[in-house]
Amino acid sequence: MATPIIMPRQGQSVESCILVEWLVDVGATLEEGTAIASIETDKAIFEVESPAAGTLVARFFEEGDDIPVLLTIAALGEPGEDASALKPDSAGGAEVAPEVEAAPVAAPVVAVAPVVGCGQKAVGVSPRARKAAAASGVDAQILAGSGPGGRVIERDVQAAAAGQPRLSAAARDVAAATGLAAPAQGSGLGGMVLASDLGTTSAVAAAVDAPAIPTGEPTVVPLKGIRKLIAGKMHESLATTAQLTMNMSFDATGILAYRAKVKAQGEALGLPNITINDVVAYATVQMLMVSPSLNAHFLGDKTVQYPFVNLGIATDTERGLMVPVVHGASEMSLCELSEEIKPLLADCQKGNINPDLLTGGTFTITNMGMLGIESFTPVLNIPEVAILGVGGLSLKPVMKDGEVKHVQSINLSLTVDHQVVDGAPAARFLKTLCMSLENFELTLAK
Amino acid sequence: MKYDLIVIGSGPGGYVAAERAGEQGKKVLLIEKGELGGVCMNCGCVPSKTLLNSSKVYYYATHGEAYGVKSENVSFDLAAVIARKKKVVETLRKGVAGLMKRNKVTVVKGEAKLVSRREVCVGDEVYEGDAIMIAVGSSPAKPPIPGIDNDCVYDSTRLLDLETMPENLVVVGGGVIGCEFACFFGTLGVPVTVIEMLPEICPAVDPQIAKMLRQELTKRNITFHVGARVESIGKADVTFSVKDKKETIKASHVLVATGRTCNVNGLGLEDVKIDFDRRGIKVDDCCATNVPGVYAIGDVTGKQWLAHSATRMGEVVVHNLCGRPDHMRYDAIPGVIYTTPEVATVGLTEAQAKEQGIPVRVGKMPMAASGRFLAENEGGRGVCKVIVHAETSVLLGVHMIGGTCSEMAFGAAAMIESEMRVKEIEELVFPHPTVSELIRDTLIMTSH
Repeated sequence: MATPIIMPRQGQSVESCILVEWLVDVGATLEEGTAIASIETDKAIFEVESPAAGTLVARFFEEGDDIPVLLTIAALGEPGEDASALKPDSAGGAEVAPEVEAAPVAAPVVAVAPVVGCGQKAVGVSPRARKAAAASGVDAQILAGSGPGGRVIERDVQAAAAGQPRLSAAARDVAAATGLAAPAQGSGLGGMVLASDLGTTSAVAAAVDAPAIPTGEPTVVPLKGIRKLIAGKMHESLATTAQLTMNMSFDATGILAYRAKVKAQGEALGLPNITINDVVAYATVQMLMVSPSLNAHFLGDKTVQYPFVNLGIATDTERGLMVPVVHGASEMSLCELSEEIKPLLADCQKGNINPDLLTGGTFTITNMGMLGIESFTPVLNIPEVAILGVGGLSLKPVMKDGEVKHVQSINLSLTVDHQVVDGAPAARFLKTLCMSLENFELTLAK
Repeated sequence: MKYDLIVIGSGPGGYVAAERAGEQGKKVLLIEKGELGGVCMNCGCVPSKTLLNSSKVYYYATHGEAYGVKSENVSFDLAAVIARKKKVVETLRKGVAGLMKRNKVTVVKGEAKLVSRREVCVGDEVYEGDAIMIAVGSSPAKPPIPGIDNDCVYDSTRLLDLETMPENLVVVGGGVIGCEFACFFGTLGVPVTVIEMLPEICPAVDPQIAKMLRQELTKRNITFHVGARVESIGKADVTFSVKDKKETIKASHVLVATGRTCNVNGLGLEDVKIDFDRRGIKVDDCCATNVPGVYAIGDVTGKQWLAHSATRMGEVVVHNLCGRPDHMRYDAIPGVIYTTPEVATVGLTEAQAKEQGIPVRVGKMPMAASGRFLAENEGGRGVCKVIVHAETSVLLGVHMIGGTCSEMAFGAAAMIESEMRVKEIEELVFPHPTVSELIRDTLIMTSH
């Protein structure tokens, strides 16, 4: 029966060795102690000796292979004997039982100078590479090797030496002692890396009074769910339309008084808590009914104007921006509209809104007034051709009866798709809307 | 006409930058309101060195006995010395003009004013440039001393054209300029008094070396009053006080050398919103100002009052404009005082190292340890002082006084710039016998 020749374990920390060279061919007659292969750890080169006299009947690895220790690398037997049973399987192979005596190994034949540097250990460094590294000051341990199994070979070191920054003698010593990496460009003569440059990314930039680069891991937030939808829709909106935003403010004294009145006496009359937003929404719906060009969808080759208003109300939720739609808003009284909007918004917050109520809008209102925004550029909720942004209350000086007075006013920001809505009609709509809000009681009377 | 670079000021910063940029094929305009070469060439470094050398020749002629050379009836002709100075300056100026021509630099004479970040006007003419380099230098400062406008008061520029020997000279300010003029006139036998406000002359220099310089200069008809404040200047006298004790001394001539001020006025810096104050135009390590495309170099930045710093700063700007990344390093720029003996310093002083918390070893060796020094400086004193990092043995500073040590400064600068340690410097071969060997010897002594 054939005898396995195993890859010896060269010390506790060695997990694999590189097969440098086969010293005998299959069929060769071996004495006990004949060197059959030279192997290499990252410390030195050794020879594997034949454990007994016999004929080499099989070699299971190629030169350059990185072989885990205690694996069978060859077989010894009678000439012509089939030793394939001993071949370790390709998936790394079962280790030969530990009781199999390791092949005796000759003393190291190559002593290698210690290498400076203390970077992360590579798969291994060939002795030639190690020598080249010592000569050129390259830390071979931290190079990505191009040899078998990622082993660092001489040409890796040469390439690194050619491309590496020139370190001052002092910097080289500090680098070796601390393991600090050298930047590609130093701050010294002709880009020489000085000791103080080590550990910086670009010493030159650092020298130019750059602020310290803050460190820390960034938080990665995957794009999914509602955020993905918003991202796509917003981008599509800005990419496919010609958005034009205009601003106008109206004197809110009237609607504030109206709201105060509702708040004070509404409960007795069974009225809901009507908000400023409700008021603006109601007036908008009324004005849209007489401005069909803004209550429309643009579908590329045509616009579709609607005889009713389904009003979208943009709302901020934990999951992101949502636009629930009040269907048939044009059929509602202020009171009904107010009562319709509140549960819609609440459902959005809770996250249990009926998806059908998120579609079918013909016009959208977005209110950022409660966040202190005075005016902004709302982004069209395509295919709608217009969107109204509502700002917060602010004091505006106006000339009244020959003197300057400060009145509470609210800014409205109207964005239209200029592809199908011209500036003048949009401006006229905004003007009418402002007037209807300034004279809200008349609007209600309609 | 549009230029790649407009340089304002043709001093050692401006003209070298113009030359280098022109050499690289850039279209360069150089604007100068005075003479080509600026202060350095016309009324600074070069003329003062010409004068100092004449005084040195005179000194050797009158003190040759120490070397076994006797001479009699030696006289000094100040008018002839000034004439020679003019000749030297003229030759150099022509050289600069030739350099500009060879490198196709357009030279315009007149006062420049920035119109915008891309435009400079000279008179009615407006020139456009992709980059503008302000290299307008500095002027002698005029401290608020009563009598500062008296006829007997000179600044360094005017004193260089003096054709008759002063009866006696009082120098206000014991800095580099004050010491050099004191040395010149003192060597020629003029009684000189130097009044310095600080406790020691040349405050930027290692105190031990400054003290030795003061002692050596005292041998040349120079009296020093340190820690002294000039109270007033009369028609032909100067009154100063030391610790409340007032004293008035005669002064046929008074040199005010209390420093220099940046030429930041009249350039239109405010109009173009360039960040500056009276201490200079603010620049980064690439000599860029806060306004893109506008650079400032040399004295006007207030960074260092040295011609060679200005030259290097100009080069940094040109290199960056030509696509070669470069930046200023101020750690190893030599400083020299061209007195006899000369003082040369490069890098950190012991005090600066201490201030920065850098652990250092300090080595000192007398210049007399050098055979060459001994042979050529009969009775002369000098010292070489080295500052070495205590842990890494990197050379951080070299400070010297003695002989013509200014010529050795570049070597020290090269070693410091290369971050060389004593170990590497030991492997350098210095020519023998030269005084420069002292640097190496002092370093070796320091490390053993």
